[in-house]
Amino acid sequence: MRFLRTLLFPLLALTSFALARSSTGDSVLVLLDPSLKKENYSIFFGDLEKKGYKLTFRSPKDTTPEIIKDDVAQFAHVVVFAPETKTFAADVTPQSLVSLLSKNMNLLLALSPKQTPLTSLASEFSLILPPPGTPLISHFPKRDTPATLIPVQPPRAHHVISDNLAPVWFSGVPQSLGHNPMLIPLLNAPPQAFASDADSDSGADALVEAAEKSGEGLWAGSSLSLVTGFQTLSNARATWVGGVEMFSDEYINKEISKGVKSGNRDFARDVTAWTFQESNVLRIDSVEHNLVNETLPGETYTINDQVTFTAFISKYDPEIGWWRAYSDIDDMQLEFTMLDPHIRTSLPPVEGEPGMYAVTFRVPDRHGVFKFNVDYKRKGWTYLTSTSMVPVVPPQHDGYPRFLSAAWPYYAGAFSTSAAFILFVALWLAGDDRELKKNKGAKAE
Amino acid sequence: MPLAYSLPSNLSPATVTNTSSLLRIISLALISGAAIASRLFAVINFESIIHEFDPWFNYRATRVLAEKGFYAFWNWFDHTAWYPLGRVVGGTIYPGLMATSGVIYNVLHALNLPVDIRNICVLLAPGFSALTAWSTYMFTKEMKDESAGLLAAAFIGIAPGYISRSVAGSYDNEAIAIFLLMFTFYSWIKALKTGSAFFGTLTALFYFYMVAAWGGYAFITNMIPLHALTLILMGRFSSRLYVAYSSWYAIGTLASMQVPFVGFQPVRTSEHMAALGVFGLLQIVAFAELVRAHVSSKQFQSILFGSVIGIGLLGALAFGGLTYKGWIAPWTGRFYSLWDTGYAKKYIPIIASVSEHQPTAWPSFFMDLQFLIFLFPAGVVLCFRELRDEHVFVIIYAVVASYFAGVMVRLMLTLTPVVCVAAAVAFSSLLDTYIDPVEPEASDAAASPAEGTSAAGAAAAASDAGSSKKAKKAAAPDPGVASGILAAVAPSGSGPKSRGIFGLDTRGLVVFNALGMLLFFVLHCTYVTSSAYSSPSVVLASTNPDGSQHIIDDFREAYYWLRQNTPEDAVVMSWWDYGYQIAGMADRPTLVDNNTWNNTHIATVGKAMSSSEEVAYPILRKHDVDYVLVIFGGLIGYSGDDINKFLWMVRIAQGVWPEEIQEPNYFTPKGEYRIDDAAPATMKNSLMYKMSYYRFAELFGGNQAVDRVRGQQVPKTGPTLDYLDEAFTSENWIVRIYQVKKEDPLGRDLKAANAFANGKKRKKSKPLSRRRAVA
Repeated sequence: MRFLRTLLFPLLALTSFALARSSTGDSVLVLLDPSLKKENYSIFFGDLEKKGYKLTFRSPKDTTPEIIKDDVAQFAHVVVFAPETKTFAADVTPQSLVSLLSKNMNLLLALSPKQTPLTSLASEFSLILPPPGTPLISHFPKRDTPATLIPVQPPRAHHVISDNLAPVWFSGVPQSLGHNPMLIPLLNAPPQAFASDADSDSGADALVEAAEKSGEGLWAGSSLSLVTGFQTLSNARATWVGGVEMFSDEYINKEISKGVKSGNRDFARDVTAWTFQESNVLRIDSVEHNLVNETLPGETYTINDQVTFTAFISKYDPEIGWWRAYSDIDDMQLEFTMLDPHIRTSLPPVEGEPGMYAVTFRVPDRHGVFKFNVDYKRKGWTYLTSTSMVPVVPPQHDGYPRFLSAAWPYYAGAFSTSAAFILFVALWLAGDDRELKKNKGAKAE
Repeated sequence: MPLAYSLPSNLSPATVTNTSSLLRIISLALISGAAIASRLFAVINFESIIHEFDPWFNYRATRVLAEKGFYAFWNWFDHTAWYPLGRVVGGTIYPGLMATSGVIYNVLHALNLPVDIRNICVLLAPGFSALTAWSTYMFTKEMKDESAGLLAAAFIGIAPGYISRSVAGSYDNEAIAIFLLMFTFYSWIKALKTGSAFFGTLTALFYFYMVAAWGGYAFITNMIPLHALTLILMGRFSSRLYVAYSSWYAIGTLASMQVPFVGFQPVRTSEHMAALGVFGLLQIVAFAELVRAHVSSKQFQSILFGSVIGIGLLGALAFGGLTYKGWIAPWTGRFYSLWDTGYAKKYIPIIASVSEHQPTAWPSFFMDLQFLIFLFPAGVVLCFRELRDEHVFVIIYAVVASYFAGVMVRLMLTLTPVVCVAAAVAFSSLLDTYIDPVEPEASDAAASPAEGTSAAGAAAAASDAGSSKKAKKAAAPDPGVASGILAAVAPSGSGPKSRGIFGLDTRGLVVFNALGMLLFFVLHCTYVTSSAYSSPSVVLASTNPDGSQHIIDDFREAYYWLRQNTPEDAVVMSWWDYGYQIAGMADRPTLVDNNTWNNTHIATVGKAMSSSEEVAYPILRKHDVDYVLVIFGGLIGYSGDDINKFLWMVRIAQGVWPEEIQEPNYFTPKGEYRIDDAAPATMKNSLMYKMSYYRFAELFGGNQAVDRVRGQQVPKTGPTLDYLDEAFTSENWIVRIYQVKKEDPLGRDLKAANAFANGKKRKKSKPLSRRRAVA
């Protein structure tokens, strides 16, 4: 099977080269509010099209083209650039956007300081938005732009965002993150930034009050996220962007400092690459389990068997548009579970076998229905989960050791008794007992 | 001697003997036919289907045995039962029933008779009931004579107490166990009478078969030692007893240890210690007899006195010590519940929750045995009159079985054979007395001017007259003895010359009355069998207004829905009653089933059913439950539903989690069990309540919804479900199946997700505070 894969791999890679970079599809629906001119975002959309995506534009209030037709998703990705739209068409309600995710479509959503249906949707993703009309403000570093237009340094050593990006221009609304572990902050606010009413200071009192009531519950500091990724359990990805302007031509072309271009363009590329499942996409090609020194998979295992579990993992390579064996995971674990994990062991890559991870262990001394569980969840990476069920049975009736040394006294007892009995019978029958009988008869009378 | 009616005198004794034995064979054949035929109501009224709950497992196991052979069956690990624990079937069942069916199946197929395994299973119990009738005949013959034997066979053939467990389709261990029980007893009596090691071995072999077939073998394990012990205490020790008991015990115990489920129990558990103790006692007594033959009686007295006390003390100490050290398992809970009827309810609710473990109600004695229950004491008294060794056995059996039958409904089954035997003895004595044509030589009686015939001729005539009357009695070998017994029972105080009955009218009256009783017995048995004991309980029947039969087939409808619409490894959770049926009909893994070996696992299901959704959901997910099945009878008034069993779930769960589940919370403050508006919050929030009444009120279109089982009004706004989806509800709402939702893809709890999907606004949340503000 793996030979077949290695054979097919270059072939398919060739055929798929012309296709899009995303692992899930190349059709993108852009819900663009008419107030945002398409021309203002030409670089962003142009970059996407250059990568091979087919963009379809539609106003949020239009009803065609449909996102889902006959219960089949028509697009692989949806970009919702309608931060100030108050009313959407019937198929882009918050509920239907969530249902898109469960159909494995990816979402890129833009927010604004205004209260819109998307604001209430954000809270379903454990994003906590500040009150309406309170964008992010920072007075540092000193610059000639308004306080709401902030240069933000992208994170370093982040596996979604490339290293050494120039600061990006941001203006919009920050998000405070809830406890949901599926959230991945892609861009954090600068430490000096906070959310506040930009136009007047009257709203600030409300914020301070809220802060006093709930402790340090202020929308302030570097724990705020400006661009937040979210990966659902079914591995669909949604990215929330605090302000749509960061993708605009204006911000992309705006210089950070003299002669230094802003990082917006590269940042947008990285964000869309992650959101549209180009980067950090893994999959488990197959899992196998068998007895040690056997190749056929076992249907059942007997307790105390030595069993090998093997998983083949590959990573999506957007350059060639196909999957490559991936051996760089070194913290994956395998659980052998019946109600509770009876065995939890590391599942290391096998050297010399690309993409192969294997471990051999002894099946516990407990019969029941066990599951081989691989549950690898790391922020920003596709969740790898695999469950295969296998019954572990007690030994067959003839599977136990025989002729135990501990049983020798019993064997000896059984055989000696039998021998003695035969001897006794032989003597009894052979012996002349006529006289004895006579005596007995006399006695009985 | 004067005769009440004339007898033919020209018959040779050989003719009489031959005719009577032919008539016996014909009668036995007819009795077998009646026994089988009366068990076929279920097949005729419904169809050839396996009944109830346990038989479904036996049937499934038999299919495995028939398809894969005996060794595969022995090693069968059923990973779909008790998910995810699995069940080692080969080592946890009594394989006798399945092995019997498997043998029949293979023999028929070897004869090129391609009979379906299901039909063999369905018809096994009626077939074995014919054998039971025959073995009861043999047993009773040892007690009295052939005519009593035929009566007993006829009684056991149609007595509802036995039919209740052996109608066609009731494919349970009891189906063959009663035959084995009676045959073991018969060969034991035979062995004891003849002192033959052959019959002792035969007893042991059938005992082994019984051990392989039914857990009730412990009854034999204790009955035979009890009988032996009683005989010893009565001073009736003999070499016959010694040979019979020793050969039975030695071979029987070794053989029974070959059954994997029994294993070393015969030497390790208290239930089997009586047999071992009596075996030891017999050896001592035999040795004492030997010593007595060699020493003088005075010395023997003192030796005996010392040794009896010494050995008794030693034995008791050894038993206590071994129990204390754990070498001998103490009595099990099921055993205690036989002595203290409240024990199970207090300590092991799982046992008490089984309806057949409840104490017997008085009317059921009459229902199951009709007039036999009145004749039963008379028969026992007659046994006292003669009191041979085998009569002692019947007396002990009668006393013990009466007690057990009073404690547990289920044990009515073991009482039925002895009732039939004792009643047959009594009834045949009655007939013997009143059909006997010999009249006493009384001076004033108008004796018929019959010529003096030989005693043999009279007997032959009696048998002829008897057999002409419905062929129920054969030759009475010695009418003098029988009338002697009766005379002794009703002492008249007169001399031996005046014993007997005068005239035809008295005879006619009593015999007519007796036959009337038999007739009504037959009518009663037929009625009870057809109306009470022939329902498969998988298929229910009701009557339409026009009198025609309406079949309610919800169970199979739902089980087939599961079979057709769910993935093969979808785990179904239900209360344990339905485990075997789901496994047998829907072929899906279940969490718990009728083999109630793991109390904690059952309590887990009980906890899930009786907690709120939020508490139950993690339990369901942990056990990979995909579907939850509940039985709800509120719509059509099916009273055996889960809401009525709910308190048992609560009690069993409370036994394991006393802090989380408390029974009083499920009652109103007044102590009522209600499901209407007044129901307590814990009840209304429980998963079981929600699943039962989910969307029930909508069915009534705005009218007041009424639960027809409880006779209470259901709240108009029914419960809502967040963690489960209704997947299927059968035609009459008896079976409702719910699908357990997967985790929300956004990681919310399902209640919030559901509220969002229904368009409810979420409360505005504040950012999480990471530390307290400094004031």
